[in-house]
Amino acid sequence: MSEKNIILSVKDLEVKFKVRDRVLTAIRNVSLDFEEGKVVAIVGESGSGKSVFTKTFTGMLEVNGEVSNGEIWFEGENLLELKKDSDWEKIRGKKIATVFQDPMTSLNPVRTIGYQISEVIMKHQGKSKAEAKQEAIELMDKVGIKDPERRYDEYPFQYSGGMRQRIVIAIALACRPKILICDEPTTALDVTIQAQIIHLIKQLADEYKFTTIYITHDLGVVANVADYVAVMYAGQIIEYGTVEDIFYDSKHPYTWGLLSSLPQLGLKGEELFAIRGTPPSLFEEIKGDAFAPRSNYSLKIDFEQEPPIFNVSETHWAKTWLLDPRAPKIDPPSVIKTLHERMLDMTKKGGVYGDR
Amino acid sequence: MKGYILKRILRSIISVFIVVSIVITMIFTLIPRTKLLDNDQAYKKLTGDTKTAYRLNMYQKLGYLHFARIGEICAESEDPAGCQVNGSEAQKAALKEFEEKDYVIEYFRNKTPYATHDYTIPELIFHFWGNLIKIDNKNFVQKNYIDTGVISTDIEKKYYIGKDDNNFPAILCSGCEYKYQLYFGHGFPFIHQNKIRLNFGISYPTKSGMSTLTVINEGQGSQKAFMQTFPTGLQQESPLKQMTAKFKPNIDHLDSTRFTDNYADCESYYESPSMVNTSYIFGIISLIIAYALGLPAGMGMARNKGGFWDKIGVAFINFIIALPSLALIFFVRQIGATLFGLPDKFPMLGFNNVKSYLAPLFILSLLSLPGLMTWTRRYMIDQSNADYVKFAKAKGLSQREIFTKHILKNAIIPIVNGIPGSIILCISGAFITESAFAIPGMGKMLPDSINKMNNNMVITLAFIFAALSIFSVLLGDLLMTVVDPRIQLQARGGKK
Repeated sequence: MSEKNIILSVKDLEVKFKVRDRVLTAIRNVSLDFEEGKVVAIVGESGSGKSVFTKTFTGMLEVNGEVSNGEIWFEGENLLELKKDSDWEKIRGKKIATVFQDPMTSLNPVRTIGYQISEVIMKHQGKSKAEAKQEAIELMDKVGIKDPERRYDEYPFQYSGGMRQRIVIAIALACRPKILICDEPTTALDVTIQAQIIHLIKQLADEYKFTTIYITHDLGVVANVADYVAVMYAGQIIEYGTVEDIFYDSKHPYTWGLLSSLPQLGLKGEELFAIRGTPPSLFEEIKGDAFAPRSNYSLKIDFEQEPPIFNVSETHWAKTWLLDPRAPKIDPPSVIKTLHERMLDMTKKGGVYGDR
Repeated sequence: MKGYILKRILRSIISVFIVVSIVITMIFTLIPRTKLLDNDQAYKKLTGDTKTAYRLNMYQKLGYLHFARIGEICAESEDPAGCQVNGSEAQKAALKEFEEKDYVIEYFRNKTPYATHDYTIPELIFHFWGNLIKIDNKNFVQKNYIDTGVISTDIEKKYYIGKDDNNFPAILCSGCEYKYQLYFGHGFPFIHQNKIRLNFGISYPTKSGMSTLTVINEGQGSQKAFMQTFPTGLQQESPLKQMTAKFKPNIDHLDSTRFTDNYADCESYYESPSMVNTSYIFGIISLIIAYALGLPAGMGMARNKGGFWDKIGVAFINFIIALPSLALIFFVRQIGATLFGLPDKFPMLGFNNVKSYLAPLFILSLLSLPGLMTWTRRYMIDQSNADYVKFAKAKGLSQREIFTKHILKNAIIPIVNGIPGSIILCISGAFITESAFAIPGMGKMLPDSINKMNNNMVITLAFIFAALSIFSVLLGDLLMTVVDPRIQLQARGGKK
């Protein structure tokens, strides 16, 4: 593997939220490096802290949230030392752009599409109105809007959901950002449009050479586009590796559970797997492995001490005591073991997995 | 869009029709008519048959019934002379005919019969709407004065283009009720006409005999004379509005020194504005003050939500809302009078002194301020939680840009909708404030006319307020289409 070119480096990040006099720890000591030009997918169930994690990169935490510890290094600068909004404005949109989940509400309903695109170009690139319009039309063309000159002056309500998400992507890309954060970009779209949008982002990433961070709980999307996968649970990344590592050689019981509960991969006639229980309350301090109470494979030590990071390979690590040499040898569930064959099997019927 | 507006206007007209018809029905059937004359001094002095005749005559004038005296009863009789003799066969036959036409026959003390017919509800409503719009025409004089024998001289019947008293071109008429049909200038709205006039009947018992519209529209106070030139070339200090010249069947010597024809019956200029204008002046100015302060205040509060100025603003809103408006009015009036030497009654210094306006305007603005601030703040905060604001932030826009370029345009939509209503309905006046300061405005008109059973005035006001309310809603909706591209008014959904 060649020398890693790290674009964004997160160290010991801890994020706390104040909710009605109680303090909730949403991110617990997360460290992660993002490689330039790669696609990283962050997966995990709702409330695991995926969105909060990426919001810290652009200083977009809700008012009651606060980064209580850690560093985020980007272009030789610790982003968490930025205090003023005007400093953040040089990062947001310009260097790190975000695409949100719901294109229906991401655009201002009473401003024209054209205005909303060229506004960013004018602001960040200091171009004139006419130049910005020219560039906006080019961008619209690039993201697949037909007849962009005419549609420039239309309003969001005249666009379909998929078209609006294309516009949102065009706005996000308007300033050639280094990093594009896609916060569940396809969740609100119907399945046929999802594939188009994913494909579009991938194609644009190749062209503009930006680093993509996907937040999703759609493992199908992950398998399709990601280079690396970070699995989050209860405010921590519990397993990280290349997409192959995670899909074929996952080590953490939570990742197993996540993969087993993919409906597409369920076996006919067998009941679909579901992880039992609910995630722990983040209001209280978590002792040991946060997943232990829900795991079928938990050891005694899981309830007592937090597992350290065990490196499986150069690109793959996981936080589980199962990887400790002293731990008993446990085979992953059979569903996981046959995952590869079944995924290939699925693609034969017309899936997208094999495209990679 | 055009189709939609036409439909809305049609519907608005129907709504006004229904509302006013209900008011008419209520007034004419539920208010005891016997009480109408309680305060009529002339009626009190009368006795016997003349009293009865006066009463019935008044009821007829006010539109309650039709009162037929012997003359009318006998008018269509085959033997008019015989019919006039009480107890004759011809009279009996004539009375019988009237009875069949739903008249009630009664007798004066001198045995002379008379017939009355109480209008039914459909008749009442029909009369009101039938007489509402009067269109002036060149046969007016012929029909009303020549044919009835009031005057014997003939008059030319024609429309022609002439000049008004400012030497602007105007459309004039000979034979119409009004000489000047269409003329320009002479103040807002710069195009005036006398062709189509609304007729709501007469005011009674206050300003007895005057048309209700004139009562609220005519200037108040003493007449204001100024130097003007009359058609005869006479230059004179006079308060007459020449452009309102109406046909006068019998002109006197004074008229003939000023006017070359029979159109000599003019309205006058007055020192003080009419009731409508008085209320409007107060309403509009206080509205402008309230919007000029309330909108920026509400926006500022929303921007610094939870901050110092927001808290101050909320405290202010709560204070004004919690304080009974009556207390506020009298409190401010007292403070103005004792600390700043402002008059506590409007007529003390009158219309031409700025001091008269300060306290009432302050109160009126203060009263509408909290609502405006609350709603502006609420709409702004509502919008600032929207997803597009989050995305705009992620785009790298500054807080200020997000507010001015994105939130404001969304938050202003519901506010814009209410603006025409507030402007138009200023006309209805502010009852309590106007009463407290004895301002001669519209505010006291409705309660006053209800108290004094000035039925025609109540109906007039009901009509005006209903029509203005409904059309201001329509105007608000039309204005919304300007600020909100999503709203397209359509008669039917589907096509653009």
